[in-house]
Amino acid sequence: MTDSSPAVEIRHLVKDFKTSFKRQPLRAVDDVSIRIMPGEVYGLIGPNGSGKSTTMKALLGLVAPTSGECAIFGKDSLKVDSRDEVGFLPENPYFYKHLSGEETLNFYGKLCGIRGTKLRDRVNELLKLVDLEDASHRRIGGYSKGMLQRIGLAQALIQEPRLVILDEPTAGVDPVGSREIRDLIFKLKEQGITVFLCSHLLEQVQEVCDTVGIIFRGRMIKEGNLDDLIAIEDQTELVVKDASPELVAEIAALIGRDGAAELVRTGKPRTTLERLFLRETRDQKNSESNILK
Amino acid sequence: MNPLLMINAFTAHLGRISVIARHAFTQLVRMKVFYFLAFFAIILIGSNFFNLPQHEGPEAAGVNILRSIKSWSLGAMTLFSVVLSIVATALLLPKDVEDRTLYTILAKPVPRIDYLAGKLLGVLLLIFVSLLVMDLLMTGILQVRTNMVLSKQMAMAEARGWSVSDIAGLKADILAQGPTFSLQGAVLAVFLRATVIASMSLLISTFSSSTLFTTIVSFLIYFCGHFQADARAIYLSSEVGTDVGWVSQAIALLVSLILPDFQLFNVIDSVIEGQLMPLVIFGKLILVGLFYFSFYLIASWFVFAKKEF
Repeated sequence: MTDSSPAVEIRHLVKDFKTSFKRQPLRAVDDVSIRIMPGEVYGLIGPNGSGKSTTMKALLGLVAPTSGECAIFGKDSLKVDSRDEVGFLPENPYFYKHLSGEETLNFYGKLCGIRGTKLRDRVNELLKLVDLEDASHRRIGGYSKGMLQRIGLAQALIQEPRLVILDEPTAGVDPVGSREIRDLIFKLKEQGITVFLCSHLLEQVQEVCDTVGIIFRGRMIKEGNLDDLIAIEDQTELVVKDASPELVAEIAALIGRDGAAELVRTGKPRTTLERLFLRETRDQKNSESNILK
Repeated sequence: MNPLLMINAFTAHLGRISVIARHAFTQLVRMKVFYFLAFFAIILIGSNFFNLPQHEGPEAAGVNILRSIKSWSLGAMTLFSVVLSIVATALLLPKDVEDRTLYTILAKPVPRIDYLAGKLLGVLLLIFVSLLVMDLLMTGILQVRTNMVLSKQMAMAEARGWSVSDIAGLKADILAQGPTFSLQGAVLAVFLRATVIASMSLLISTFSSSTLFTTIVSFLIYFCGHFQADARAIYLSSEVGTDVGWVSQAIALLVSLILPDFQLFNVIDSVIEGQLMPLVIFGKLILVGLFYFSFYLIASWFVFAKKEF
């Protein structure tokens, strides 16, 4: 299969779940079509129960479509070989608590047919990537939520997949851990790995995704390139550093004279609460380490 | 299909099954299942001190102790293997679904039959290793005890001036109560019975939603399995024109087709009594074990292949 085939191709997916007798089946996904090209980062967003996870499960063959088709790099999702090049991190994953981080990666690596030195090297590489080298011999049962997500991401990457599917990768993780996972997604993107993620954290989706789909009550209500979707076409942003009040007044007057243009707002741009939190905790950490030195 | 590709595919299946089986084994070991072995050792040591009332003549003195060791050991082995085969098998699948670890496994290129076979073989590996350790302990203690009984009885026979042939007969009787190949066959029968029960529990756990349900139903079926021969007899007799109702006939047919005849394994009791296990029975038990292992595994696969998570 050539690289030109889509990494993900979901065509008119419908998924009904049986409920109790005599009642209508519950339609979790209703005629959803998604096409993700190799190297793309696609974000599927929607409220709880909108069908995001069911769509991902159908793509992985964990549920069978009522109608429609799902394919990964051209291979039917219901066939086992479609999973050769996929890594999956489910929402709130729990791995085997009796295994250490390293044993966990060894287990998943062996399931993918990797053995010997190649497996050892890959495990070490991934432990380094997700910054769990120091905790590699600790039992998973003692891992924090953020560490669990990171080891989950590492297991998803064990067989060097070309597609990574992440279901709420930052759910329940603190802002620092969340930022680390976001950075990992950026690294995957740099390596040309296709990422299909769903999340509630819209700001993160906005930061990492090229394309976004909005799903609501099982139906895809909006889809497209992120920049196109969120750009306000009739407005232009101008950010000026060290501007004196006179200069700001002069710019405002200039706009006023134009007749057609209208000044919507002036003021100081704000940072996000997340950036503020990260900056403050980093500064605190640095000052504590300086005192220790 | 190219034979080389077929061999590669088969090797890949075996590789994955082996990884999952070893993992299931490790998982159960780390659940501290082997603590049962300490319990077994206590039972085994305790069985040495059970002095049952002696009704036979002095030539049978000490033989009861040998029977007691075998009876308690094989009883403990049966208890351990039956409980573990049901509980461990009932636990592993729902736990993976509940913890969502199953998602991460099935999202890898792992066919569902490999997952099921791996889990089942992991449980069986644990039972096999446990029985092996218990067997070694039992055989060791039985050997020591047999030697003690033998030297005591030989001294008694010589003191009473028994003939050489009588002494040889007494010796043979005592040795038959010691560690024999039939005894090893009985231990293997315990393992084969556990294989059938674990395979049956696997099938139940593929469509049940809880460990408790699987455990209860498996124990019930194990119990009903002891009446399989009776059910078969009822069905066969109804065919030749008796007044057995069609409901009873259908139930009897169902029970005799689906359930294994666990009474076959009662051959263990005669081994405890010191009798030989005929090779035919031994071969029959192996075939029954393999048949039900394959039958239940394939049936589990049919159910599990369609299952959604």
